[in-house]
Formats: sequence, structure tokens, C-alpha cells
Amino acid sequence: MNFELSEEQKMIQQSVERFVQENYDLTNRVKISSEDPGYSKEYWGSMADLGWLGLAFDEEDGGFGGNQIDTLVLMEQFGKGLVLEPFLANIVLGGGIIKRAASPAIKESIIPSLMEGKLQITLAYAEEQSRFDIEDVATAAREEDGGFIINGKKSMVLNAESADKIIVVTRTSGSQVDENGISLFIVDASSEGVEKQNFPTVDGLRASEITFEDVKVSSEALVGEKDKGFKILQAVVNDAILALSAEAVGAMEVLYKDTVEYTQQREQFDHALSDFQVLQHRMVDMFMEYEQCKSLLFRATLETVEDPDLAQRTVHALKHLIGKSGIFVGESAVQLHGGMGVTEELRIGHFFKRLLVIDSQFGNADFHLDKFTNL
Amino acid sequence: MLYFAGLRSKKILIFTFIFTNFNTKNMHINLSSDDLAFRDDVRSFFEENKIKAGEDYFSWRLGWFEKAREKGGWDVPKWPEKFGGPGWTPTQHYIWEQETAKANIPFDLPFGLGMLAPILMNYGNEEQQKRFMPDIRDRKVNWCQGYSEPGAGSDLANLKTKAVLSEDGKHYIVNGSKIWTTLAHVADWIFCLTRTDDSGIKQQGITFLLFPMKQEGIEVKPIITLGGSHTVNTVHFTDVKVPVENMIGEEGKGWTYAKGLLEHERTGLAGLSKSLVELEQLKDNARSVQRGNGNLMDDSSYKSKVGELEIDLLATEFTELRSLASAAAGGEPGPESSILKLKGTEIKQRIAKLTVEASGIYSSAWGDKSAGPAFAKGGTAGYLNSRYFTIYGGASEVQKDIVAKKVLGLTKGSSK
Ligand SMILES: Cc1cc2nc3c(=O)[nH]c(=O)nc-3n(C[C@H](O)[C@H](O)[C@H](O)COP(=O)(O)OP(=O)(O)OC[C@H]3O[C@@H](n4cnc5c(N)ncnc54)[C@H](O)[C@@H]3O)c2cc1C
Repeated sequence: MNFELSEEQKMIQQSVERFVQENYDLTNRVKISSEDPGYSKEYWGSMADLGWLGLAFDEEDGGFGGNQIDTLVLMEQFGKGLVLEPFLANIVLGGGIIKRAASPAIKESIIPSLMEGKLQITLAYAEEQSRFDIEDVATAAREEDGGFIINGKKSMVLNAESADKIIVVTRTSGSQVDENGISLFIVDASSEGVEKQNFPTVDGLRASEITFEDVKVSSEALVGEKDKGFKILQAVVNDAILALSAEAVGAMEVLYKDTVEYTQQREQFDHALSDFQVLQHRMVDMFMEYEQCKSLLFRATLETVEDPDLAQRTVHALKHLIGKSGIFVGESAVQLHGGMGVTEELRIGHFFKRLLVIDSQFGNADFHLDKFTNL
Repeated sequence: MLYFAGLRSKKILIFTFIFTNFNTKNMHINLSSDDLAFRDDVRSFFEENKIKAGEDYFSWRLGWFEKAREKGGWDVPKWPEKFGGPGWTPTQHYIWEQETAKANIPFDLPFGLGMLAPILMNYGNEEQQKRFMPDIRDRKVNWCQGYSEPGAGSDLANLKTKAVLSEDGKHYIVNGSKIWTTLAHVADWIFCLTRTDDSGIKQQGITFLLFPMKQEGIEVKPIITLGGSHTVNTVHFTDVKVPVENMIGEEGKGWTYAKGLLEHERTGLAGLSKSLVELEQLKDNARSVQRGNGNLMDDSSYKSKVGELEIDLLATEFTELRSLASAAAGGEPGPESSILKLKGTEIKQRIAKLTVEASGIYSSAWGDKSAGPAFAKGGTAGYLNSRYFTIYGGASEVQKDIVAKKVLGLTKGSSK
């Protein structure tokens, strides 16, 4: 058993940590988030130059041949600064589908420019009625003249505002909730019939509702086999869960450490707040939740690297714990900071909001507990 | 024996008790015919005075309070009869709470009406009562509460804002900073705790002053809270002149006055009637979220959480009623009242959290122009704001400390 990162991974970890420390103080983050496009193009370029965007792509596609552990290393550090750049949407989601299932021609046309940060892509899967069920897909793709026509609406699509291409999860056969009959298409965001409504999210990122009205695509736009898209989607969603969980672990670390520091500095009743036992115990609980999340994150990630099918249950367990503990740690940090905790001026509130959003993405704590206990 | 009579209206559990003999075997709950008549009267008043389409909100609001006044003090339900209040029985107060929680009545702020007025009644001189109370009652003057300071939050007695008597003895000169002052940016006046003497223990030497906000030497700066809104502020005083006639009671005794008020503020913060209405709303919202052939209320874990919440609410509501009953019997509020703020605020937070959960993927959408069902739009901001319920008006940890010491007699608590 070995939980040590490789020398290379350690170097990357350090360089991401430094990047976050140097560039992601709260003021800067708020500024970047409030201006279009909602992240820094300069930082995105640096991430490409530093090779971070290519880490998880296969060597034959021009990447560095890394795996979910490399993504964990990046995301955990990103979590400590609430990094805004669209790594999840481009690399884990969009890129994840492409590297797993796209034809050599599509791979070649997309992966190199993705790694260079020149092309942006995202994944549109959720729908109004689907809540957290990824197999619940009503958006239809119907075959016509050797191509397909897509009609439907997708919800809460991350990074759609900046995406040049959108991978759309559609139904080509079966009933609305069948795992069979789901097909993935890669669509130009500028295609006729694609309409985006963009808005900010609670955590300062961006999302969109997208309608597809008679959007025509050729048969080459199909990614993977027709009707067999679910397995690919599920694998990518699992990767996204691992990535978000790593980010959440980074965020929880900041929250518990900031709280420990704040309570040592703030005095009331002629004592540092940290002298009060009830607060000490609460901070110990925060710390325990953080450590437990980290353990389960390692477990789920290592299991996924070894055998994704066997890891499924642990991935559900992880997302449950991350959701529950993330909110506990966030609420506790706010509570222990008193009035300061509810202001936008301190960073803890922003970290709390991010953890709240993470719980709502790819299934919340209840959803995954249910999956876990039924698997 | 406990028995219910005609208690379930369509959505809200309505009940009350006969407050007499609460501690005997005759304990029971039902509405007397007088109470029923009162309830109908309240309902028809609300119905008759609803805002009409196209009516200006603010003139409707003032008109509403005027009509409520004509009903015999309904504009100031909690004020004693002596000061123009309606002199209701606890049952009537309870009915009023229940009905106002459901009805669409004009907004009201607690600062003048519920916080300052009781202090004026108890400790103000007649001249001060005459000067300030009519405007409070007419909702003409907005007040803000200037207690907390950067160094004085839970430990309020640690406040440092200085008030020094001028040489001619006509004014106090106030210097210092307040923080978290709710609505200071729209307030006309502030009631403020200041320090006139720091030679004794912290609780001594605090003086209660009233002064206008729109004057030289007062600077108000916004603090933006997590829900993205501006309600709280920092307030800085530089050589603010306050005439001595604006001091309440005696110099140096302000702590005693404020502390009584804080107790008042804390029970008021439980907001149970509102929570009952919100709980029903929550269930409706969850039912509107389709899951398979059913809806979110069929989801076992969600349903359990709503159930647990409702059970707590049922118990807490009776805790409040017991506390009202003992107050009505002329006694001090019993030990049960000390848990009301703790329980009531926790319940409100859980309702807000479950609203976020019901919103599903849309809980992260932000702003009016985003996506998702209507209830989701304000839901997350509501949840974020709900986090301060356990911070203001006595943070939960400190409240428990007080219960530990005062109620359970565990003397080694850390706060005073
Ligand atoms: C939205 C909002 C509106 C407000 N409006 C007003 C207003 O209008 N006017 C006004 O004067 N004030 C107002 N307040 C201030 C409010 O009363 C204070 O925030 C509150 O008293 C807590 O003080 P603090 O924020 O300094 O937290 P602190 O006192 O620093 O407390 C931080 C944490 O330490 C804990 N703690 C403190 N002491 C102890 C102890 N002895 N043992 C164990 N734990 C302890 C607290 O429970 C809390 O969790 C408002 C606050 C908020 C958030």
C-alpha cells in the first residue's frame, strides 16, 4: 500500500499550490468572477503552458498519460483558492467524453487545442425533470438524411457561455429513463437552433440553460456508439465526482484552518474564542470530517484507477460524505466566525458557497446514499 | 387530559389553549367561542384590508396601520393597554401570531416598535415617552439598534464607544464604532449603548442614548452579507453631540435596560408561526418536484427529514405556549422559554436547508434571471441568510451557556 505521490506529482502539487497562493486571493477572485468571461484567460493560458490541461490525456493523443490521481492533485489545490478557470467542464467533462469515446478524427481535431487552452468544450446532460438521474434524458436525436436532428432543453450547463463545442446527451431510443438508448453528440455551440441563456451560479461561476431546436448534425458528430452512451457518461460523471470531491477537500482544509486561526485571534469575555471548549470540539469535528473525506477520496480514486466498475459503490459513498461533511464544515466555519462569517468580506463564506454548490452537482448527499445502499 | 378540538384548518395547525389551570388535571386546549369570534374578526380584518391591484404599497401600509389602530390597538399588539395596546389575552396573541403568519400584511420593523418602545415604557421619562412613542407607533421614524461593536459581540458589555459629558453638562460627545447595525443606512434614529465610565466592572458605566442618524459626525458603511444583500452596516461616530435629555434612565445603568430588552428580542426571534407556514410551503414545493410516478415527498430520506422537522416544530410550539401560559399566570417565563430561541432558529435553518435540497440542480442558480422553479430562486439566498439566525440576538453557543448557568445551575459557564 502506498499513499505517496510520485516525485512528478509532488512537483505539480507544489506548482499549483504556488499558483493559487500567488493569484487567488479573495479580492482577485471576486474581480475575475464578476467580469466576463468569468475566469481569467491569462490564467487559463498559463495552465495550458504549464501542462496541467494535458495531464489526464493519453500519450497517444498527445497528453501526459496521467489518470484520476493527477486530476486529484490539481483539483485539491484548485479547491484551496476556489479557482474559476473551467478545468472541470473542459478537461474532466468534455475532454473526458472525447478521450474515452471519440473517433480518431475527432480526437485529433479537439484534444490538442483543448490542451493548449484554445478550444473550449462542455457537457450538457442535466434536464429540467432529471434532477440527479443522469439516465433521465428527454432531449431527442432523430435520424434523418443520414444525420441527426436534436430537439430538447438542457439545464445548468457549466461553462456553456465560453464553450465552442457542446457534447449533448440525447435519447435515440427507449423510454425517457432507460440506460439504453442514450447517445452523445458533439455540436458546435454556434449551430443554428442552439440558444443559450447564461447566468451566474451561487459560487461565482457561470452556467446556462440551452435549448436545441431542430439542430442538425452529421453522423460524424456521434461520439461513441449510438444508443450506448450511458456507460461513457457514467464513467465521466464518476471522474467529475472524484474531481469535485478533491476540490471540496481542498476547500474544507482552508475552512477548518481559517477557523482555527480566527478563533485564536478573536477575543470575547477576556478569552480567545479558542479557549472555549464547545468551540474546540466543534473545530475537532470539522477537522475529523475533513480527514475522513480525504480518506474516502483516496480510496475512491485508487479504486477507480484500478477497476472503475468495482469502484462505483465507493464513488457513491464519497459523494455522499463530501456533500454532508462539506456543508457541515462550511456551516461550522460561518458559525464560529460569528457575524464576520456571514459577510462577503471574509473568504470563508465563499468557500462555504462553493461546497454548497458541489453538493448539488452530480447528485447530492441523499441521492448518493440511496444509490450506495441499493447497490 | 389533552384534547384537540377543530384544530386542523386546511393547511395549518391552529390551536390554542385555555390558559387557566394549565398545571392541573384540567389541562386542555381548545378555542372558546370568544376566541373563535376574535379569530374570525382578525381574518376578516386582513381580508378587508388587503392591498388592491395597482395600490401604492407605502400608502396602503400606513393606511393599514391606521385602520388597525381604530380596531383598538391592533397596530401595536404587544404594547400594554396603558400605552394604547389592545390588552389581549395570551390566547389572542397566539391567534394573532398564527393569522399574521398566513396573511399578507404590511412589513414592520422590530427596532422601534418591539425593542426601543418597551425600554421607553419601562425606563424612559414621561417626556421621552411623549416625544418618541407616537412616531414609532405611526411608523414615521425608523430606528436602528447600536449595540454591537467590533470588540463587543457576544461579550456585549465590552463595548467601548465613548460618551463624554460636555463641560456645560448639556451634551454627551460620542466617539467610536458600531458594527452589524441593521438598516442603519435607512434609519432616522439610533438607540445606542455608550460607555460613560470604565472604572468599574464592564457592565457598569454603560449609558443608553438616543440620537438622530442624519447628522454630522456619523458615517455609515455597508457590509454585504452572503446572500448578496445590504442590510447591515458599520457606523462610525466622530464627536457626535447628543443632548442630555436624550439619555434614557440614569447614566451608567444602560446595561440593565438593554439586558431586559435582549430577553425580549430573543423570544421574538423564535418565529414559530412563520415556520409552520413555511413548513407547509416547503411540503408544497417538494410535492411540485416530480420523481418517477410520484414526487419528492415520496422520497424516503427527504420525507423523513421533513417529518423530523415537523415533530420538532410541534414540540417547540408547545414549549412556546407553555412559556406564554406561565407568563400569563403572572410568573416569570419558565425555564422552557430559554430554549425557544435555540430551537426556533434551528428550525428555520432546517426549513431553508430543505428548500435548497428540494431545488436540486437549480439550487446553485443565482439571481432572478437564472433557471429553475420559482421557489428555488430565492431558496439558496434564504438558506445562506438563515445562517445568521444562530448568530445574532445571542449566538447559540452563548445561549446554551446561559441555559447551563441560569437554568441548570452549572456555574462554570464562560460567558456572562
Ligand atoms: C445579520 C446580522 C444582523 C445584526 N444586527 C444587529 C443590530 O442591528 N444591532 C446590533 O447591535 N447588533 C447586530 N448584530 C450583531 C449580533 O448581535 C452579533 O453578531 C452577535 O452578538 C455575535 O457577536 P459576534 O458576531 O461578534 O461573534 P463573536 O462574539 O465573536 O462569536 C463568534 C463565535 O464564538 C462563539 N462564542 C462567543 N463567546 C463564547 C463563549 N463564551 N462560549 C462559547 N462560545 C462563544 C459564538 O457563539 C460564535 O459562534 C447583527 C448580526 C448579524 C449577523
